[in-house]
Formats: sequence, C-alpha cells, structure tokens
Amino acid sequence: MLKVTLPALAVGLISAVAAAQQPPRPDPGLAVYKKANCVGCHKWHGGGGGGYGGDALSLRHTQLTREQIIETVNCGRPGTGMPFHLRGAYDATKCYDSLRAEMGAQMPPEGTAFLRQSEVEAVATYVAESLKGKGEPTLADCTAFFGDTSRACDLYRKETRDGTPAPQQTTH
Amino acid sequence: MTRFSTRCRRALAAGTALALVTAAAQAQAPTQGAAPAPATGQTVDQNRLLKADKEEGNWLLHHKNFGAHRYSTLAQINRDTVKNLKVAWTMHLGGIEGGGIWSHGGLEGTPIVENGMMYVTDGWGSVYKIDTRNGAGKLLWKMDPKTDREWAGAVACCGVNNRGVALWGNQVISHTLDGRLIATDKETGQVAWQRQVADPDKGETITGAPLVVHDMAVSGVGGAEYGIRGWIAATDLKSQKEIWRTHTIPGKGEPGIETWKGPNNAEVSGGGSTWVTGSYDPDTDLIIWGVGNPGPDWDNTYRPGDNLYTDSTVALDAKTGAIKWHFQHTPNDPYDYDSVSENLLVDAGGKKMALEADRNGFAYAVDRTNGQFLWATPFVKKVTWTRGINPDTGKPFEYDPTKDVQRYNPAVTPHPENKVADVCPGNMGGKNWPPTAYHPGTGLWYIPVIESCNRITHETMTTASLKPREFFTGGGPTQPFRITGSVTAIDVNTGKVAAKLETPFPLLGGMLATPDLVFTGEPDGRVMALDAKTLAKMWEFNTGGGVNAPPMTFTVDGKQYLAILVGLGGAWDKWFIDSTPELKSIQAGSMLYVFAL
Repeated sequence: MLKVTLPALAVGLISAVAAAQQPPRPDPGLAVYKKANCVGCHKWHGGGGGGYGGDALSLRHTQLTREQIIETVNCGRPGTGMPFHLRGAYDATKCYDSLRAEMGAQMPPEGTAFLRQSEVEAVATYVAESLKGKGEPTLADCTAFFGDTSRACDLYRKETRDGTPAPQQTTH
Repeated sequence: MTRFSTRCRRALAAGTALALVTAAAQAQAPTQGAAPAPATGQTVDQNRLLKADKEEGNWLLHHKNFGAHRYSTLAQINRDTVKNLKVAWTMHLGGIEGGGIWSHGGLEGTPIVENGMMYVTDGWGSVYKIDTRNGAGKLLWKMDPKTDREWAGAVACCGVNNRGVALWGNQVISHTLDGRLIATDKETGQVAWQRQVADPDKGETITGAPLVVHDMAVSGVGGAEYGIRGWIAATDLKSQKEIWRTHTIPGKGEPGIETWKGPNNAEVSGGGSTWVTGSYDPDTDLIIWGVGNPGPDWDNTYRPGDNLYTDSTVALDAKTGAIKWHFQHTPNDPYDYDSVSENLLVDAGGKKMALEADRNGFAYAVDRTNGQFLWATPFVKKVTWTRGINPDTGKPFEYDPTKDVQRYNPAVTPHPENKVADVCPGNMGGKNWPPTAYHPGTGLWYIPVIESCNRITHETMTTASLKPREFFTGGGPTQPFRITGSVTAIDVNTGKVAAKLETPFPLLGGMLATPDLVFTGEPDGRVMALDAKTLAKMWEFNTGGGVNAPPMTFTVDGKQYLAILVGLGGAWDKWFIDSTPELKSIQAGSMLYVFAL
C-alpha cells in the first residue's frame, strides 16, 4: 500500500510544482506545424507564397474547413508539392479513393514526418483557428511563433518603434 | 587564475560538451612540452597572400591564390599512385540543425590549411580548428557564433551555407548567415571582434568566404530573391571599420541608373547579389567579382532596361571600391542567370584574361585590364535561350539594344504571354557557385557543370508584391526534367572545349587541379580523381554522404593529403531534388574526409 501511494503522491506533487512554474502551455498544433516542417513552404505565418519552390497556398486565405484540412494533411494535394503525412496513405489506406498505382504523376510527395491522428487534428485546429481568416501577421503572432530568442520579429518591433505602420507581409 | 576563469567562461558560454573537451585539451597542452612547437604563430599579411602559391603545402586563400586557380603543385598523389589513395581520417562536424525555412544545414566550404592547422566551417558559420599532424585529426577549438537561425534561415533562398574562412594576422576571419563578419583568435578560438555587415531584416545574408586584400576583409551578400539592393563591402581589419561599400545597382545620378526604367523604381529592389568570393589582380590592384541576378528573377517586364550591374563581372579599385570596368552577360535577364561565379585570372595568347563560367551556359573571357570581350564558348550540352553569343559584341545574338524588355528566344522565355516556359540551362545554371580549377601547364580550365533544363512559371509582379523578408521572384521553377552533370575542360588558349566527362549527377562541389590529376565529387557521395588531360576516371571513393563542397590538398609532416567536406545541403535538396530522384535517399550529414596514400 505504502509503496504504491508514496510514489503516486510524489509524482503528483512534482507535477503540481512543475505546472505552477511553467509558462502558458504552447499550442500543441503549433508544435506539430513546426515538427512537420509546414514552415518550409507555408512560412511561419502561413502566408505561403511564391519563390524557388513554386507557390505554397496561403493558410490565412484558405477556404478549407477543418475536416478538409485534416484530409489535406493526411493525404497531401495530388499534383502539387504538398506532401502526405498519414503513414500508409495510398498503400494501406486509400486517399481520395485512390491507391498509389492509380496516382501516377499526381502522387504527392511523402512528408518530413508521419503524424499520428491526434497530431493531424491538432495542426488542423491550429490552421483553422489561428491562421485561417487572419489578416496580416503581427508582432504578437511572430513572438507566439518564435518566442523572444530570435531577431526574426525585430522587423515588427522596428516598425512599431518608429511609429510607422507594421510591414505588409505576403499572405497571398 | 585569469587564464582559468577565462577558459571557464568560454566553456560555459559555449555550453556544449565539445567546448569542455576543447578547454580540457588546451589546458593539457603545456604538458606536451617535448613536442615541437607548431609553427602556427606565423602571421598572415598581404605579402604572404600574394605569394600563396609559393607555400606549396599550405592552402592560404579560399581559391588557393588570388587568381582563383585552385591548382596545387603537390604531386605525391599522382597518376601512378592515386590507386593507393584511401581514407586517412575523418571527423564529424556539426551544423546540420534547421532554421527558418530549412530543415537542415549542409557543407559547402573549402578548408584552409596553414602549417598543418586546418580551419573549416559548417553551414551555420561555426569555425573548427583541426590539428592535422601525426596522421590524425584533432579538434583544437570550435568557435560557435550562435547564428540566429530563424532570422537568417527564413531569408536564405538556397540553404544553410558557409563556404569557409580567410586568414589575416593571427586571426581567422569568417562570415555568418545572419550577416556578421567575425575575427577569431587563431590560437585560442576566442572571438576578437565582430561587426554586422549585412542585414537579414532587409533579406540580406552572407554565405561566401571573406576575401582578404590589403588588410581588408571583402564581403559579398546574398538576397536577390528577397528584393535586396546588392553590394560588395570592405572592412578594415585593423580599425574594424568599413572602408567602402559599392552597390551593384547604381543609385540616383550614378552611371548605369539609366538601365533601370519604367514606373516601379525597380532599382531599389534590383537584386545583384555577390555571394561568391571573388578574385584579386595585384597588377592592376583590381578586385574582380561576379554579380548575381536581377530581381524579380523571372519577371523582366517589371524592370525594363539592361539592369546594370546584374549578371555582370565588375572590377573594383581595391583602395576605393570604385567600379573600373564591367562586363554584362545577360542584359535584362528573365532566367535567373546569375554571374556570381569566381573569375579565373590567367595570361594567355598575350592577353591578361578574366574567365567566368556563367549560369547562362557560356564561358566568357574578357581582358581584365579593361573588361573588353574576347570570346565566349558554350560549356553545356544544351542551350535554348539564345542561338549564341555574338563574337563581335559579346552579347546574345537576339539582344536588341533598342528594346527595354528582352525576349531572347521567346518560346523558352517566361513572360506575361508565355507563363510556363521550359528553358535550358535551368535556373541553377550551367555552372553554379562550385568553383572551377585551372592547370597552368596545359592551359586547361575545369568547369563543374550542371547539365540542365527546367520549367519556369511566370508571375507578374507589382510594387505591392515587394515585402520585407518575403520572396520577390516573379514566379518559380519546377523540375520535370532529369538533370545530370559533367566536368568540361576548356583550353584557355583556344577558347574551345578540350574534353568532357559526363556524370550521372550535377556537379555541386567544385574542382581541384594538380599536375597529373583533377579532383571533384558528386552529390551521390562519390569523390573522384580524373586524368588532368583526358578526364578519364583514375580513382573513386564513395563517402556515403552527398558531396556539395570542393576538394583541396595540403601537406603535413611531409605527406600529401586530400580533404573534402561532405554534407548535402544548399539549394538542391529543397528546390531541385525532383530532377535527381535518386538523391532523395541522401541523408543530411556533416563530415570531413581526409585521404592519403
């Protein structure tokens, strides 16, 4: 009895202390956004845009529902660079009602990481609630993404200091 | 006590186990009293650099000498012995972490060796000093500049790259991707001073090695895909102050501004980056440097005019930075055909020449005293954007000086009425940054070639498209075509292709020439030695990584070694991998290979 209770208590205490000392828990969907390298094409702000890799669509201007975003993350976008993130997609599991052999040249690439369904749901929630429909990125958006350890957000601070409008970021 | 606490602070600041190991190693150094003192205290000055080729066993300058020859006279490894070449030692380096839009860093650097001490960098700009004596590599220190990865990595178009260091006095001079110039004490690895040269807030980054001339560090900048206005800057290494900064896009009232027309003020974001280390001609005291593409890359309608000095070679007065001459290869470029390549400085046929292997697929020779065109030769198998270079003018045959917007071969040129265009060479060019090498005995010039075409999708830009820290490219490439490579040798006396060895992959690493052999590597991991005359393959070793850096050679303890960094990063595995599907299996890595007989 004692043996069981004591460690449980100790764990509980440690957890409580840790929770009290921790900053607000970061959005789990943001963590997945970083882990799956969404930033590699859609950028940190989700605005995507043109460039060396061609166009990545804007997640801020997207019209997709959360359910459609889940499907896109799982299965990728056929015929584009948007990769699939579901382990076994097009092999063990059909995507868009198709298997790999039927996709041919339209087969999307495989993602940097395969995601568990809870992760796919978390990142879809993040895109649907924190990026979709938002206007130009702000200093608060930037620091929420990067924290305070990088100069990546200095551009926004500089503009704010000067009293001039915040810079327009590409969100097309 | 002071020494101890200094070391402690340094170890703590570095915050890595490696630093602790290094500090411990340094602390033990005095106990090795019996060992001969390394001759590393010798300082590096202009006089020594001018005679860099006389120090046969050393590699003091990024391109080996000021003329960018990358030729070593060392010949223990030769036609007869190369079959016995094998790995002597290896060392894992760091810097593969991601940042910004990049999932990992890579290695593109040329090691510098002075009296057995090697200095290399990783993609994030850490500098490693390695003792190569006694047939093994021993890390003496690592200087980690703590590059701001998100700040820089978000505006690096083409990878987490750093191509190496320069030596000056008793310091190691290096750059970081986030735009700093850093001087590190050669003996202790402590940062002596640093200054911000480029500004990532404007989309500026630095990947090239500094060129040290006249006690100045000359820096170039990257960022033509982000709407920068390019420059070359010289920092006085004694006062640590900037001496001059020459913009590659003229300002209001300056010569050349008339080549920027139309309503967009296109010159303020005209590109013209300078991200490859240039050459220096002591006879004329000119710094000869390549200038990159105009921006936006693929929408030349946005920027009517020839767009000087983009896609040009420029010669700067070393003392003042004033532009003494220029030669432009692709006026009003719609293809992203940078002219950033290093210029090879040689004398041939009674001419003092500067040679450049351009992204547009042609190798050019100009008179380096005045920039007058001498000849141009295609060095790739397939060129579709032009019928050729007019031997009288040095301009593409289709170039029409009465027109503000050039279409060249309109069928392969991206423009508003031709939104998807397949063009050869592709936008990585016939040759990218990987350096050429030159054999002074035979006059052969070895070009590491990307035999390529790709597909460009055009996007019309407006001034509203121009935003800080965002791509400003006017479209982008895709890769529906397989890309291969070659080593192509041009005889500088005739201007003709003398030999060509086709390779299954594009050459992303660069060349080294020696009396009997030339060395290079492929991105699938193979390092190879070729016969210097015929280019027949004499030796090959698979490193198991991806070669994205040039080989170099040196001697220590009287023995010749060959060194090369291995770690595929750069632009290829993010933007161009679809053209070389086999390379998708190459893993990120960071490794120094050293070979010996």
